Formats: sequence, structure tokens, C-alpha cells
Amino acid sequence: MPFQVVSDDLLRKVAALGRRVNYEKGALIYDVGDKADDIYIIVSGQVEHTLEPTAQARRPVKRLGAGDVFGWAALLEKFPHRLAKAVCEEATEIVRINGDHLLRTLETDPDAGDVVMSRFATMITRDYTVPDLIAQLRRIHRRMHASDIQGMDLTLFRFRQWIRSPRPYLMLMGFALFLGFWYLAVEVLKLPRFREMPGLTTVVKEWISPNPTYGLSIYTPEYYKHIGVSVWRVAQAFMLATLLGVPFGLFLGWSKKFKEYVFPVFELLRPIPVLAWVPLAIVMFIATESAVIYLTFLAAFFTTSLNTMLGVESIDESYVRAAYCLGARRWQVFLHVIAPGALPFIFTGLQISMGVSWFSLVAAEMVSGQYGLGYVINTSYTTVRYPTIFIGMITLGFVGYATSALVRLLGDYLMQWRTRELALGGQ
Amino acid sequence: MAAVTRAEALQASATRGAITLDNVVKIYDPDRAAVMAVDHCSLDIRAGEICMIVGPSGCGKTTLLNAIAGFHEITSGQILLDGEVLCCSEKPKAEPGSDRIVVFQNGALFPWKTNLENVAFGPIMQGSLTKAGAKEKALEMMADAGLAGVEHNYPGEVSSGVRRRVEIVRALMNDPKVLLLDEPYRALDSLTKSVMHEALLEIYYKNRVTIFFITHDLEEAIFLGHRVAIMTTRPCKPKKILEVDIPHPRTYSVLTSKRFRELMEETTESVHEEALKAFDAGEKEG
Repeated sequence: MPFQVVSDDLLRKVAALGRRVNYEKGALIYDVGDKADDIYIIVSGQVEHTLEPTAQARRPVKRLGAGDVFGWAALLEKFPHRLAKAVCEEATEIVRINGDHLLRTLETDPDAGDVVMSRFATMITRDYTVPDLIAQLRRIHRRMHASDIQGMDLTLFRFRQWIRSPRPYLMLMGFALFLGFWYLAVEVLKLPRFREMPGLTTVVKEWISPNPTYGLSIYTPEYYKHIGVSVWRVAQAFMLATLLGVPFGLFLGWSKKFKEYVFPVFELLRPIPVLAWVPLAIVMFIATESAVIYLTFLAAFFTTSLNTMLGVESIDESYVRAAYCLGARRWQVFLHVIAPGALPFIFTGLQISMGVSWFSLVAAEMVSGQYGLGYVINTSYTTVRYPTIFIGMITLGFVGYATSALVRLLGDYLMQWRTRELALGGQ
Repeated sequence: MAAVTRAEALQASATRGAITLDNVVKIYDPDRAAVMAVDHCSLDIRAGEICMIVGPSGCGKTTLLNAIAGFHEITSGQILLDGEVLCCSEKPKAEPGSDRIVVFQNGALFPWKTNLENVAFGPIMQGSLTKAGAKEKALEMMADAGLAGVEHNYPGEVSSGVRRRVEIVRALMNDPKVLLLDEPYRALDSLTKSVMHEALLEIYYKNRVTIFFITHDLEEAIFLGHRVAIMTTRPCKPKKILEVDIPHPRTYSVLTSKRFRELMEETTESVHEEALKAFDAGEKEG
């Protein structure tokens, strides 16, 4: 059972390790305490398998037939000896595979090896009903499971899992449907309200044309200048918002007194939309550049602070109490419990904050500035260059998505404990 | 037999970790609706014993534990540890400290630290050991408790049974006088629970500390405890204190022994009575 649906190549390698052995009726294959080297697969016949009492199996006695696998103690790191007694009830043909050799072979294809090992784990808990061999089962897993992977490798591991899941194909389907609708609605069916819109083919042609009709495509240097300016503005505003917002939010959540002073003011300012800040920003900052960055920063700062504060408040009181019990002082609790405990919320906040940054940036750029994607969209509108508007919008989508993905990657990297749990859960 | 005498010798030699609860009263006063959670509760917990506190859910057992640990204030009375006052009317809240470590109901291993970092946490925070020294000691203690192999995993990657063992080892790293356990095995299935009980006893035989163990499971209480204090429900005070005269070390065979069944019979009724009272009170409140 553990070897079902493994690649033929790996299956051949495993089969090559096997040795066929025949046992007579009543023969003892092994007894409790024997050295455990091999695992056994029954080709034909019948075997009675009795687990020793200390293994605490719910049903210690099990009758095994053709296709069943036993002798898995050979795959447990801490049990070099047999936990059960196995006796042939009739003449039995068996394939024996050395446990160490099997593991080494599985390691040549770690992904498939993973699958085989976790099937062994399931088999031991479900079929052999051994409840608290869990700790040892984990040890099987760990020989090559996600828990040994760190940092970027772990991200790659999750990426490989993603590629092998149906999710990327569903995603592509989603895109195809969306673009298909655009194409049909505008260029084929010419639906009302869509008629005036530039069609998919018009936009794509303009976008990849060396001589764009309206002056902006992937061949023109201005295109990259606009992207560069916008990215740089968002980067500055986002960094500033993170550097100020995270510590600010941590203190808001950590100190009741600080929160009582500051939070009402904070809540009063937070709902004011970015556009309402524009006049003030222009008065405060003579240079348009700093005004745009200031506006972008504002929205991101509120989002980051609020999420960080909620993150601190979400931390289970037990963790704080446990830290005090173990002799931690107040600042140590802040450093070792509050800050890491709030990280999941902080990163959720940062992802939202990144989105909000782009949102406010475009709003700010539409009001002032000479470069940037928001500026492109706004000027194309006033000069009636509709395909260019779409180029600006789509580019914004891509760049925004990429920056969010970067934040997510950083989060995965800093929160190894969560990433590893997710990876073990197959996500 | 040798093991028996060793365990008994250990208990006789335990000289620290005696807790005295002296007329402890705790009144919660939300919206001036004074609720008496603990009413003049007096109880002596002997140095080095396993004292089981049994009572229905919500009877005020955890309030006692929180007062000893220093998480909550008491209203009056006093609590002493080895003759020293932890809290009293003048100083209603004890300082939390590494001489009294709590193992929490839902577990409180830091999920963002590996099991090893969790175990080494206490001495590093207190500055009693260097980082390297603490890790070395943690490795040793984990190996001793049968936890070799999970050191570099995060708590979320191991089974709940393993997590509980790691948490107890984390507490023992600080050489506490008292372990305060708040229904630590409540969420475990009965099979895992039985394994955990034996593991706890094994650890206890090696590291003699006083154990203050809250539970609502009478069988668990009699199996583990030297003494079982059955508490009344709201306000909480000892109703009956049972001396469990089954010698330590114990194994699971105790559960089927005649004496164990007798003790169960003796106490089941009074526990049931309190459970009924708690149920009725809950009905009224509801």
C-alpha cells in the first residue's frame, strides 16, 4: 500500500532492492526485540502479526495477507528492534527489503519519498492502531520532510508543491476566462457600455508595438521611467510606514496607557481619505515629490499600525504569563513574546499596506507630478489616448502584484514556524 | 522494590516546595455584583507531593492556581511558599517567578521558537546560564525525558503529547520548587492521556518537585496524586481530602487494583454531588 502511485522509475529501483523468501507454515519470521533490518511485503500466504503490549496498540493482533506490508520498525529511527512477533499461518512468500537501503533509494527522489513515508505513517497509525508512536512516526517523516528545509529552500519546496497541485491551472483558467470575456464583450459582441472601450487586441498591439500610436509601449524608455518612478515612490513610502508603523503599533498594543493617549486621535485621523489630505500635503511640502510620498505614506502607516496593534492584542495571554513564570522581565517579554507573536498579523497588515500604498500613490500622482503610472493614466485620459490608459492600468496590476508577492516571501522567511506548519500540511 | 524505596526516600527528603493556603478569599467584583470564587480556603500542600485538586469546571480551582502563580490578586488571607509570604491582604498579588511554574491548559510553548529554544528560554531570560550553556543543558534534559529528535522542530510540528512533555521539561529547566498544572491533559484523547500520565510520573520520580495539579477527572487524580483535595463548587474550598495510600512508583496496573476501585467508590459520590450543584448553579445563571 505505501508504494501505490509512485513513478515507475522509483518503483523499479525499490523492486530491485527486494529479495524473495519462502517461509513454511508455522515459521517465525521475527520476534519482539529482534534486530529490525528489513521491511516485508507479502506476495502470497498469511501472517499473524502481534504487537507487544508496551506499543499500546488498540488492536495488537492483526492477520496479514497478500499485498500487506509489515516490519516497519526497520524505518523507525529510535527502534532498531522489533516491536512485534510475526508468524506464518500458512506457507508464505515474502519480499524483504532492507530499511536503510529503502530510505536511501527514496532519498534519490525526495518528493516521492515523502509520499511513501507519510503513507507508512498513516498505515502505522490506522492499520496497526498504535496511538502514541506519533513521536517516532515524526522521526520517519523528518528524514526528509519539510522540517529539515530552511529559508529559501522551504519556499522552493512550497513552490514545487504548488506547481504539482491543480491550483496553477485553475489560475490560468481564471485569466483565460477574464481575457476571453474582455475580447468577446468589446470586439466580437460589441456590448453596450463596452463599445467605447479599447479591445484586448488593440491594447496588446499598442503595448508591444515598437512604434506605438500613442507614444507608450514596452519599447519606449518613458514606459520604464514611469514604472521606476512609481516603484521608487512606493518603496520609500512603504519603508517609512513600516519602520514607523510597526513599532508604533507594538506600543499601542503593549501599553494600555499609551493607547489611551494616542488611539482616539489615531482613530479620528484614520478614516480621512488620502484625497482629502492633498491640499494640506501641497501646503506642507513645497516639492511635489515629497508631497506624493507623504500621501502614499499616510495610508500605509495607518494600516500597518492598526494591524500590528491587533496582532499584539491577539496574542494568547498564556504566552505572556508563561514568559513571566520563566523569569523574563518586561522588556524581554516584549522582545521574545510580543514582537514575534504579532508577526502573522503584522505581515497581513503589510500586504494590505502595500496595496493601499499603490492605491494612494496613483491618487496622488493623478493630482500632481510629472511621472509615474498614475500620471500616465490621468494624462492619457485628458488627451484621449485610451489604449495607453489600459497599458497603465495593467502595468499597475502587475507591479502591485509583484510587490505584494515580495512582502509575502519576506513574511515566509521570517515566520519559518508557520511556513513549516503550512508545508507539512501540504500548502 | 529498589525503585520504590528510592522514590519514597526522595519524597521523605523533599524539603522545599511546601505551599500553605491560609484562609484565602477571592471575590470577583464585576459591576458590583460580588461573586465569591474562593471562600476561606485553607490547604497545606506538603513539600514534594503530588496534590490533586478536583472539582467541576468553573468551581474556582484555577483562581487558586492564578493566585499562587501571581497572575491574580487575592481579596484576603495569605499564601506561603516554604514559610515565606507570597501574597496576603497587604500585598494581594504575588510576583510571578521561576520557583512556581505553570503548565497551561492549552499549552503555552512559544510557537515561534523551536522546542530547544523553548526549553532553554528560562535560564537565558534569568541570565543564570549563558545561551550556549542553556542549550547544552536543554539538550541533556530533553534527551533524558525521551525527547531526543524533536529539538529542532517547532512545537506546531510535533504531536500534542510531545508538546506537553516539552513544556514540562521547559519548566523543570529552572529547578522550580512547585509545578502548577492546570488541566494539562484535558484536550488529549484517553489513550494519549494514559501515556502522558506515565511520562509525568517518570519525570516526577527523577526530578522531585511539588506538583499542584488541577483536574476534573477523578480517575486521573487518584492515579497520580499522593493526596486528592475535592473542592466544593463556588465558592471553592476543600470539601474532603483523600490520602491515596497506593505506593509510588505507580504504573497503569494500579487502575485495575482493588484499592484503586475502593478509593474511586469512596469519592465518586462527593464529586458527583458538587458537579450537580455546579450544574444547578449554571442553570440558574443561564
